[in-house]
Amino acid sequence: MKILTKTFSLALIVFSLNTSAQSAAGKFQMGMKKGLEMLGSAKGSDGFNSTANYFERVAQAEAKEWTPFYYAAYSNLIAGLTTTDKSVKDQYLDKALAEVEQANGLSPDNSEIYALKGYVQYIKLSVDPQARLAMMSASAASLAKAKALNPENPRIYLISGQNTFYTPEAFGGGKAKAKAILETAAAKFAIFKPSAPLEPNWGADQVKDLLAQIK
Amino acid sequence: MRKLLLSFTLLLTLGFVQAQTRITGSVKTSKGKSVANASISIKNSYDGTSSDITGHFDFTTTEKGKQVLLFSALNQDTDSLVLTIEGKPMNLSLLMNDAVNELETVKISAGTYTTGDAKKGAVLSSIDIATLAGSRADVIAAMQTLPGAQAAGSESGLFVRGGTAAETKTYFDGMLVKSPFNATVPDQASRGRLSPFLFKGTSFSSGGYSAQYGQALSSALVLESTDLPEKTTTGITLLSVGGGVDQNIRYKNSALSLGGYYYNLAPAYSVFKQQQNNFIKAPEQLGGSLQYKAKTSGSGMLKFYAAYGVSQLSLDKPDPNTAASPTYFSNDNSNIYINSTYKEYLNTAWKLEAGISYNRDQDKGLVAQDNYKRTDKLLEGRATLTHYYGHLSNLKFGAETFNTGRAESLNTLGRSYTDQLTAAFAETDIFLSSRVVARTGLRSEYSGYLKRYNLAPRLSLGYKTSAASQLSFAYGRFYQNPEDSYLIQKPLDYEQADHYILKYELNLADRLFRVEGYYKDYANLIKVNGTSLDNSGNGYARGFELFLKDKKTIPNGDFWISYSFLDSKRNFANYPMLATPAFAAKHTASMVAKQFIPSINSQIGATYVFASGRTYVNPNNPVYLGDKTKSSNNLSLSLSYLTHVCKQFTVLYVNASNIAGFKNIYGYQYSTDGLTRRAIQPSSRRDLIIGLIMTIGDDTFIR
Repeated sequence: MKILTKTFSLALIVFSLNTSAQSAAGKFQMGMKKGLEMLGSAKGSDGFNSTANYFERVAQAEAKEWTPFYYAAYSNLIAGLTTTDKSVKDQYLDKALAEVEQANGLSPDNSEIYALKGYVQYIKLSVDPQARLAMMSASAASLAKAKALNPENPRIYLISGQNTFYTPEAFGGGKAKAKAILETAAAKFAIFKPSAPLEPNWGADQVKDLLAQIK
Repeated sequence: MRKLLLSFTLLLTLGFVQAQTRITGSVKTSKGKSVANASISIKNSYDGTSSDITGHFDFTTTEKGKQVLLFSALNQDTDSLVLTIEGKPMNLSLLMNDAVNELETVKISAGTYTTGDAKKGAVLSSIDIATLAGSRADVIAAMQTLPGAQAAGSESGLFVRGGTAAETKTYFDGMLVKSPFNATVPDQASRGRLSPFLFKGTSFSSGGYSAQYGQALSSALVLESTDLPEKTTTGITLLSVGGGVDQNIRYKNSALSLGGYYYNLAPAYSVFKQQQNNFIKAPEQLGGSLQYKAKTSGSGMLKFYAAYGVSQLSLDKPDPNTAASPTYFSNDNSNIYINSTYKEYLNTAWKLEAGISYNRDQDKGLVAQDNYKRTDKLLEGRATLTHYYGHLSNLKFGAETFNTGRAESLNTLGRSYTDQLTAAFAETDIFLSSRVVARTGLRSEYSGYLKRYNLAPRLSLGYKTSAASQLSFAYGRFYQNPEDSYLIQKPLDYEQADHYILKYELNLADRLFRVEGYYKDYANLIKVNGTSLDNSGNGYARGFELFLKDKKTIPNGDFWISYSFLDSKRNFANYPMLATPAFAAKHTASMVAKQFIPSINSQIGATYVFASGRTYVNPNNPVYLGDKTKSSNNLSLSLSYLTHVCKQFTVLYVNASNIAGFKNIYGYQYSTDGLTRRAIQPSSRRDLIIGLIMTIGDDTFIR
């Protein structure tokens, strides 16, 4: 009887260890899915801050994955973009830039990461355009790199079109010029499929919104 | 069997439905303020949450045993706590320390106006300098709109807080520039030689500066050169007075820049009548520069800059003694400037900076019938080590040596002198907290020509009175060698000044307000008694200054206002008594406004400068320097239109000086008998420059 109990318990332990090993990958998938749902329903700067905090937790627990850093950076970017508190705007954006670099360290030469970097750099510029004009070149350089790595990534055209949309005509921007770039973005979004389920797949709606504003 | 079932259930619970522990609590700063949006998490797990607006948090975790709880928030230092989680609900009160924020940290700033990187509390950006109406992209002219500096007059250079132009020194990446101005034209101010586009930052100190800088009694203008250009570009500048081309070539870890320019003021002078001098040959300049910059490692940088320029002019200078026959004057100038610096972090705690620079400036020509020639030289070597310790504190020490001198001749007579001046300095910034900083420094120099030592203590204190405001104090003793024109006659002693400065600053996101009061005590100034020279001169300067910069009130607009009150007297040079010098106007005010108008792609700038009357020597008045000119006014306007020419980003600009045509007089020059006099005026009443700057190869429009 004793022996039976022991064997049974042992079997159970082996079984449960086995499931936990199997579920490590599942846990990450589930965790990211939950994060993406949070991101989808996030509202306001505080909401995106919570999402950023969530992805940062996942990122520090998953040392080899670039996507948690990517989404943490994206969430911090939107938190910085939407906050009305000028004193923390740069801090959000600086966090976003640091997380872009961490993602880049885990997944070098990734078109998505360079595209996001170009986005953050442009928003950094827009905080104080007079003093930060140099960030314009930096943003363009990141987007050019993203394009060289994967010209089919639609977010490059969204971000570049959006930057052009918000840049005064005098500095080479303007709605008319943005239109052509955003139309390219729309065409690329129509055929885009992320190579893995957790990889970036956002932006199609933003393109529609911007194009609607031009028309 | 029952037992078996029981343990089976237990195992199931453990294995599949992991027990959860609820963790609640609140986050506050050490001062008791709730921290919203803080991130609270269990290390190496996904478990955690964000604090709500009242600083409270509530989450559950499946982790057990000893765990690390991490908490972080914007404006706060990240912290952690070791917890033993046993399944019972836990309530935690977390305390966070205010992070040391670069912008909110106390700074050494008494007497100093920084431009460039906005992050470091800069007052003006490089673009502010380049686009300032009336400055014509001259760094020196831009600095004249800041408190402490006198408005431009009939002399070259920066006159700061009652000091002469010779008391302000220019430093290029820490290296002294001996001849920072173009060739001197009689009774006219010359432009600075160094383009504002060479620099990413400028620090203009009107007193109390660091022990790193010596040989300046009044002011230090510290210019910090740009790093690698982002891209390969070509720049073309066309002006109504000439033009230039430059080529930046960017390699992976280095960059080469080549540039050349040619200016000829003859067409401009034919339109705008020159009131001071009758030019026979209007100034003509030709020059070029070469720059090489390389990243030598992740943190190392090597910079090399070399420039060569020549200029020519000749004129008839009116003489109040002989109205019918003016004095002929001609000048051929050549200037070589080489600056090479190296910077590297030896490790996280030590930084090495080293540099070598060479400057040779030669003037020759005729004054009346006499041939003159003057050559100024400076060769400097410098090395500095910085040690970082604690949270922000540092210790800096270094040494520099200057081989400097002048050689001059008049017809067949010649003379010269050379000095080897060696200096050592040490300085430490001690942050007692993020609110209190003290900088103490000591500088010592030995001049081989003067055969004398000096020892100059410096002290600067900063106290943060709130997140946005700061009170600062600075004291310093400053020495400098007498001017070359005296030293070439004989070795003398150092001239000396003591500065005492008290400043209050309020720095809000888009507004900056500063008020600063000072007292400056001069001693051992050079006195000329007939043909003998000695160090018996003295003087003082005291005053206060106000500065307000506002980027908020007007959308797309930006303005600043400076006011300086100066009370100064000195007994030096050939003064017979203590008197207020011409370069010490009592009231100086300037207003600068810039407005970008998106609908016409243009930026409009306006600069208004007011200065109360300047003293002048009237031989008919027994009181020396007892007469004063009327106050002077100048309104300059600029318009920059951003467009594209042949698809290349182009700026078209117009800059008009003294648009209202105020008749300004800087002083009078009397005939020896005191019966006739000549007014010293700006070189022309009005002035207009039209320019076109085109950048090829950068579709992001900004270099």
